[in-house]
Amino acid sequence: MSKPTDLVQGTLDLLILKTIALESMHGWAIAQRIRQVSKDVLQVNQGALYPALHRLEQQGWIEAEWGESENNRRAKYYSLTKSGKKYLQSEQANWERLAAAIGLVLKTA
Amino acid sequence: MRWLKSVSNRLRSLFRKSAVEQETVQELQFHLERQIATGIAAGLSPEEARRTGLLDFGGVEQFKEECREARGVNRIESLLADLRYGFRTLRKSPGFAIVSVLTLALGIGANSAIFSMVNALLLRPYNFRNLDSLIRVWEDRGIDEGYDARYIAPADAEDLHSTNGIFEGMTTYSFQSFGLGTEGDVQPILGCRVSANFFDVLAVSPAAGRLFTATEEQPGADQVAILSFGSWQRRFGDDPQVLGKTISLNGRVYTIVAIMPKDFDYPVPVELWVPLALTPAEKADRSQLSLNALARLKTGVSVSQARAELASFSHRLELEYPMTNAGRATTLLQLRKELYMFTLPLFLLLQAAAGFVLLLACANLANLVFARMIGRQREIALRAALGAGRGRLGQLFVSEALVYSTAAGVVAIATSFANVRALRTSIPVSWTKWVPGWDGIRVDGNVLVFTILATLGVGIFLGLVTILHTSRVEPNKTLKETGTGTVTPAKRRVRSALVVAQVMIALILLVCAGQTIQGLVRLASAYQGFETASVLRAEISLPQKIYSDNVKITNFYQQVLRGAASLPGVQHASLVTDPPASNVDNETTFFSIEGRPALKASEAPSADLQIASPDFFGTLKISSVGGRAFSDADSAGAARVAIISRGMAARFWPKDDALGRRIKLGAQDSSEPWLTIVGVVSDVRQNWWNPITRPVIYKPFAQSPQRSMTLLLRATSNPTSCASAVRDVVQQIDSGIALRGVNTLEEEVADSIAIVRIMGILMGIFGLLALALSSIGVYGVLSESVAQRTHEIGIRLALGANPRDLMSLILAQALKLTGIGLAIAVPCAIAISRAMASLIFGVVSLDFSILGGFTALLLFVALGAGYLPARRAIGVDPVVSLRYE
Repeated sequence: MSKPTDLVQGTLDLLILKTIALESMHGWAIAQRIRQVSKDVLQVNQGALYPALHRLEQQGWIEAEWGESENNRRAKYYSLTKSGKKYLQSEQANWERLAAAIGLVLKTA
Repeated sequence: MRWLKSVSNRLRSLFRKSAVEQETVQELQFHLERQIATGIAAGLSPEEARRTGLLDFGGVEQFKEECREARGVNRIESLLADLRYGFRTLRKSPGFAIVSVLTLALGIGANSAIFSMVNALLLRPYNFRNLDSLIRVWEDRGIDEGYDARYIAPADAEDLHSTNGIFEGMTTYSFQSFGLGTEGDVQPILGCRVSANFFDVLAVSPAAGRLFTATEEQPGADQVAILSFGSWQRRFGDDPQVLGKTISLNGRVYTIVAIMPKDFDYPVPVELWVPLALTPAEKADRSQLSLNALARLKTGVSVSQARAELASFSHRLELEYPMTNAGRATTLLQLRKELYMFTLPLFLLLQAAAGFVLLLACANLANLVFARMIGRQREIALRAALGAGRGRLGQLFVSEALVYSTAAGVVAIATSFANVRALRTSIPVSWTKWVPGWDGIRVDGNVLVFTILATLGVGIFLGLVTILHTSRVEPNKTLKETGTGTVTPAKRRVRSALVVAQVMIALILLVCAGQTIQGLVRLASAYQGFETASVLRAEISLPQKIYSDNVKITNFYQQVLRGAASLPGVQHASLVTDPPASNVDNETTFFSIEGRPALKASEAPSADLQIASPDFFGTLKISSVGGRAFSDADSAGAARVAIISRGMAARFWPKDDALGRRIKLGAQDSSEPWLTIVGVVSDVRQNWWNPITRPVIYKPFAQSPQRSMTLLLRATSNPTSCASAVRDVVQQIDSGIALRGVNTLEEEVADSIAIVRIMGILMGIFGLLALALSSIGVYGVLSESVAQRTHEIGIRLALGANPRDLMSLILAQALKLTGIGLAIAVPCAIAISRAMASLIFGVVSLDFSILGGFTALLLFVALGAGYLPARRAIGVDPVVSLRYE
């Protein structure tokens, strides 16, 4: 299982923000979605997920709301705030620039 | 907006802790359930699914902790815990707490008290709009005789007003004594004649009524007056109908048109203001510098720009009117600076001294904290062993220090109200009424902010010093050690540095205090030329109605002098118009010298005019330099005579003898009689602020009697004892005449320099505090270091060391530290003294006896601080000290 330290700093934050960009989700669903989309490559451990969610909430990028889950249980749903959306855009652009740069180095060097 | 949400989240986590914790648990629970459900869906049995789910999930508590960390709760919570811990240690060792809190409170309190003075007197002495744009303008003839002798010629003022582009407004004024007619009597009062735009330039409006109009500047239309608030209260009993009423000034009827607000007392506290109505001839005068001028600079015009503009202005006038204006330079000074020319450096010095006292208090407290830290080494090592990082320990120390400094700050603020009130009321009102802003000395928002900032600064400073002292905690070593712990060389260096710094600050502060006090003593003796001891003074004012001519006035005063002189215990009795230390300058007069016509009118010599009875010089013991004193033969019918001061003789007759020369008050062709100079007396400095002694002309009382005189008596013993006898003498001659302002001359002099005296006292207090604090500090460090060497001393003694050698070893260490401190401080003190000498009154000068004396004193203190603990350590039986741990 991938610990957050295995990922580049801030990558998990980016993944979470991107995942809930379309609709609000609870923690479990976020972990599942990241796993499915990454074709089981990225498995987010709850030990990293929840502190990250709480930190993002504290920083004001996301906000939480209690709601009914699909099996009629109370669950905490996270969604992006306005500033979180902007933050996601800039972070995504940054990431793409960085990934492209690393790709270039790996191909040519 | 993001930070708002962030703060609200944080607050919610902090104050609704259980609810937030509960939610976290629910959230994690939900996750676990979903994991189990997934397991079941994959075909596991419920038990199996639960087991793998739990295994997979890991430690719930750990996640909860990490979530808390992520929410940033821990930092605040730990800070609160540290603060609580600080309070507990404060309560647990009340002795230490009281000493340290009081030491700090003393330092902080001293600073905020001085700041309250600086705040009230320097930052806003007057409530005028945009005070910094107000300037005083005058024409300098090469001799600056002090800020109350800065005048401009009326025609020059008019030119300056109409031609320049740098002033938003310019106004002129001059003081005048009026005889205020009350029922059947005339009372002398001080008034001020002002241009119509005077109040507009200052940007003040009356509390009631209207200002002067331009037409009221015309002679004949000028019979209107504006009352000061105090005058309205005292003389008109707060009469709300006073506007429109009339008063008699010098026999003319004036209509009261306005009352000024309570706090308005510019240029000095006067009773009333009247229009300055100059005749066309007076207006055209360029020869006599007779008006005070005040201007407001246009916005955007700097003082240096204005100065340059004025220089070219005076140059133009010089070319245009060489007869009158040659050698005159139009000069300016900001109003704020003019007011505080003398006191500003003293205030800054006091503030710096208070700051030094606070530093010393901090150093002492740091010492105390260090001593305690050695005792707490194991606690700190334990904290470090349990995972507290340096940052975390630093936070602990800073919070502890903040608890102490905050307690000290609270004490300082709580007592500041009383302290500042004491400071404000400690100077007699008769003097402070001349100090604009003095009544404003109080604890206001600025002072509170200053105090709070000082408190926080002290706390953070102390905490940081503690971190420095406990850097590099090695739990492994410390926890294994037994006993009271050790002091590493690094720590000893920090403490040695503290001793050096304390000795340094103490010496600098003591030298500054010593020199300031010495300067003030010299200032007190600045009233050179006469003796204040055993002299009683009393003012007498005769009503015009009864004493209508000179014969009646002379008769009355001659009876008073005869009666007073014959009283038992009275040696001399005399009269004078302006006694020394009156805080009012003498009337200045222009004069002409016979046979020596002034080349230019601007060179018309001026001098202070005094009218005195024959025994005046004997009463004040003003020594004669040449010629004779006045006698009873200088009566109204006799030849007109005058006595002049030595300075005047030296200035106007530098080569030949002044005796026998004739002078005339006013111009050569005026109708005044010629006065023959019959005597020269030594110079008298009338008021302490006069930078130089001014030329004085004395006229005999019998030849120019005045209704208002000051009676001076020299007694053989305590002068106050003859006060009632003098009252009786006056009552017997005329029961309607009362003595006013009865006081000894010594007290008058003391009152007049009260403001500088209290500064001297404050400096003295700061000096003593510095001495006490640094002595305690040096003693504390040295006795501590000797106590730690008790074991070593025991070994040395047991091996046969000579106790005297040991003693000199310990004393040498004490002297080394003190010596380093003094070696750094002496050049600093010399440099500061030099700077002070040029700043303060010109009476402070570098005095090596002060410097040497205090250096020796501090060395002595250091020796004592080393000797006492050393004797104790050496006196201990080696058997005991070897067991000492």
